Amino acid sequence: MTSYAILTDVTRCIGCEACVAACKAANHTGTDAPWPWQGDASDLSSTRWTTIVRGPRSRYVRVHCRHCLEPACASACPVGALHTTPEGAVAYDPSICLGCRYCMMACPFRLTRYEWASTKPRVRKCILCYDRIKAGEITEPACTAACPAKATIFGERGALLAEAKRRIAEHPGRYLNHVWGEHEVGGTSVLYIADVDLSSAGWPHYLRHASYPALTRPAMHLVPPTFVVVAAAMSGISWVIGRRQKLAGGENPNPEPPAEQPDSEERP
Amino acid sequence: MNTEINVRLIVTKAVLWFLLGAGAVSAAYRFFRGLGPATALTDLTPWGLWIGFDVVSGVALAAGGFVIAAVVHVFHLHRFHAIVRPAILTAFLGYVAVVVGLLVDLGRPWNIWRMIVYWQPTSPLFEVGWCVMLYLTVLTLEFAPVVFEGLRWNKAYAFLRRFTLPLVVTGIALSTLHQSSLGSLFLINPERLHPLWHSPLLPVIFFVSAVGLGLAMVTVEGVVTAWLYRREPEWHLLPSLTRAASIVLALYLAIRLVDLAARGKLRYLVEGSWWPVLFLVEVLVGVVVPVTLFNLPSLRGSRRAIGTGASLVVVGFILHRATVAGISHIARTGQGYIPSLAEIFTSLCIVSLMALLFLFFVEHLHVWEQPPTPAGHFRPAAVDPVSRAFIRGPWLGGAQRAVLAWIVGGVVAAALLELGVANGPHPRPQPVAPPRSVDVVRLPRAGATGHRITLAALQGPDSVPAQGSERAILIDGNHAGRWVLFPHEAHQQRLGGNASCGACHHLNVPLERGTSCARCHRDMYRATDTFAHDGHVTALGGNASCARCHSPGAIKDRANATPCRTCHERDRSRVTRVQASGNLADGVAAGYVAAMHGLCVTCHARQEAEHPTGGEPYLQRCPACHRELSDDGRELRLREGAILEARARP
Repeated sequence: MTSYAILTDVTRCIGCEACVAACKAANHTGTDAPWPWQGDASDLSSTRWTTIVRGPRSRYVRVHCRHCLEPACASACPVGALHTTPEGAVAYDPSICLGCRYCMMACPFRLTRYEWASTKPRVRKCILCYDRIKAGEITEPACTAACPAKATIFGERGALLAEAKRRIAEHPGRYLNHVWGEHEVGGTSVLYIADVDLSSAGWPHYLRHASYPALTRPAMHLVPPTFVVVAAAMSGISWVIGRRQKLAGGENPNPEPPAEQPDSEERP
Repeated sequence: MNTEINVRLIVTKAVLWFLLGAGAVSAAYRFFRGLGPATALTDLTPWGLWIGFDVVSGVALAAGGFVIAAVVHVFHLHRFHAIVRPAILTAFLGYVAVVVGLLVDLGRPWNIWRMIVYWQPTSPLFEVGWCVMLYLTVLTLEFAPVVFEGLRWNKAYAFLRRFTLPLVVTGIALSTLHQSSLGSLFLINPERLHPLWHSPLLPVIFFVSAVGLGLAMVTVEGVVTAWLYRREPEWHLLPSLTRAASIVLALYLAIRLVDLAARGKLRYLVEGSWWPVLFLVEVLVGVVVPVTLFNLPSLRGSRRAIGTGASLVVVGFILHRATVAGISHIARTGQGYIPSLAEIFTSLCIVSLMALLFLFFVEHLHVWEQPPTPAGHFRPAAVDPVSRAFIRGPWLGGAQRAVLAWIVGGVVAAALLELGVANGPHPRPQPVAPPRSVDVVRLPRAGATGHRITLAALQGPDSVPAQGSERAILIDGNHAGRWVLFPHEAHQQRLGGNASCGACHHLNVPLERGTSCARCHRDMYRATDTFAHDGHVTALGGNASCARCHSPGAIKDRANATPCRTCHERDRSRVTRVQASGNLADGVAAGYVAAMHGLCVTCHARQEAEHPTGGEPYLQRCPACHRELSDDGRELRLREGAILEARARP
């Protein structure tokens, strides 16, 4: 299956927020309000799955879910409510979600948002409009379709990566020679090229260039053997010590608690 | 055993019932209002007190159950038999508390069973969930014999007793797994934790410390309940427990220090911040001081030293768990978190519920070898049968006292929550940029009402307006770094002159220095109703006029009303280029932001199509209106002569 992606060219973005408006209309996210738990109304929130932040030198940088190739959120989800679709989107199924918010703890970009005001809260984030693209209603996400400056475009990930590199090669003076999302966190489906360093605009320096789910994998692989080893060791120790005590004629190896015969117990 | 009234037990129980009532109201508040209004959680701090204390610390505090069970049933140290049952009971109630805490914290708790169906073995939380479920079952089966014994169900008792060893072994294996996997929870996002607390060895650190903490918790529980019931704790056993705890805690400290050293993180211990101090406090309180108290020759076996030391271990490791689960994240997210009153009450309520259940079980079942005589166990008749006079006890009777405390607790919590005392998220200090003075030139617009206002220059507040221009101010109305020309005097006059300063400055929200525009202009972000129903009813002839607009027979709501434009055709501008988007016929207008973005962007996009400018997109003019501070925050990025279209009042 083709893995789809979005390429955002920061040098072309004019900050009109047409992508934000289109996303809100397409996903019926509702109106933004300056809730206390999200700081500013123009921040990413459960009603605003994409937004424009200010990068260095007042560049407009669009922010939304990175759709990691190996998503930490999906790996953390205890029921698989967050999952990667064959088309490359990290999608969400509210019907099985517990609301544990471990995905929000796990996201290295801290981009997942929650419906704090709701009594039936859902995790909210960009889903790459995968449902409507799959159903054939639209051919590209609402945001890329709405962009008047073609600053953010949709396509196959390999092709977009090639396009990003082509633009950098064509205008080496205009762009920094880096495609954000090519290697960060093991690769993402949301790629950026820019003329400024995006480390203060959604791509922090600390990001590893390796898979995040791999950080937990060794511990999780040890779980079944640990269970078997501990259970076996405890049974063995119990048997050995019990047998020794029996042979030594010491403490009773199979003692009953004081209330061995409940009927005879004197109760105050 | 004394039969006199045990005041400390009465007071303790009354406090516990009070907290139970306060917590019940808080929990109800959380379920009816949602997590946002009830807690101080935010998108950057999605886990708070309920996870850090009730769940992560709760599981660790319940570790005594599997440790003591292992000591007695696996290592056959039968002299510890006297504390097996209290330890199992503590563990059982601890896990019930964890599950209750989790159900309160989960956003969609009705889906918790889905963990059984949808397997996700990559997730530590999945493993924790399963282990807690299974271990709670094991603990229930381990404690059930005590209940069966109390109920005199001898066959069930004898049947379960046969499975003691398999249950204990399963319990140990399950505890090993999920004590450690609570640490694994925090492996996936190393950047959230301060480096002093994050380590690939977190699972090991969590497991080893849980063993030490479990031993300390059994000690604390023994000493506290003994104090409560004025009985002697098992002093002949406790020194052995604390000595074992010392060894485990020393091992824990060694693992942490070696781990930090091996990964080159010791330098964070000398960084200039509060984090090394927190680390030091945690290690001193949780390990160094208690281990010293337990083992100093002069104090060895001292009851006070044992009680104090064990309590310090408990406090120190609650601090450790809370730091790993939340406090140390502040170092990286930069967002503080103070639990709301509803969170605190709910947490205390869960603890109180478990404490009351513990007291109930020890009073009514054979948990201790010598069950206590609870105060009020013998209750004299309330009415003298001969004289028919009421005989009053020194206090209200047991049940009434509990109910009274419960209700008072509920009322207090309801009042505090309703008043918003320490409730909900604290407003973040929002840096409000001070207003900037500008000189504007008003030019009449040809053939239209209003003026064209041209910004002449940014000015200092004390400068004199240039010839032909007037002074105006730009404010960062919504603290968003976007500036609007603000008619300050008009606002002041409308709101009531000089007395009206307080309407906007100060106050509605602590830490906020100016009320943002959106607080009054609600339609900034929300759709607004522009239809005046009462006015229409009066104008059209009172109650008989319903049918003028609403179709007869149908429900008289907005959907069944005649669209505004049917009568107000005249009011529609014929020259506007603005295309109505959506159903504007029903009197609902889009909020400012939606309207502006919807209208400007569509129109400009069309302009661009009609008059291609080539090169720079025509929409490049958006930033001409959306202005912002420069990178250094010292000057307003604003081109001289940039044009603001403003419709001035005639």
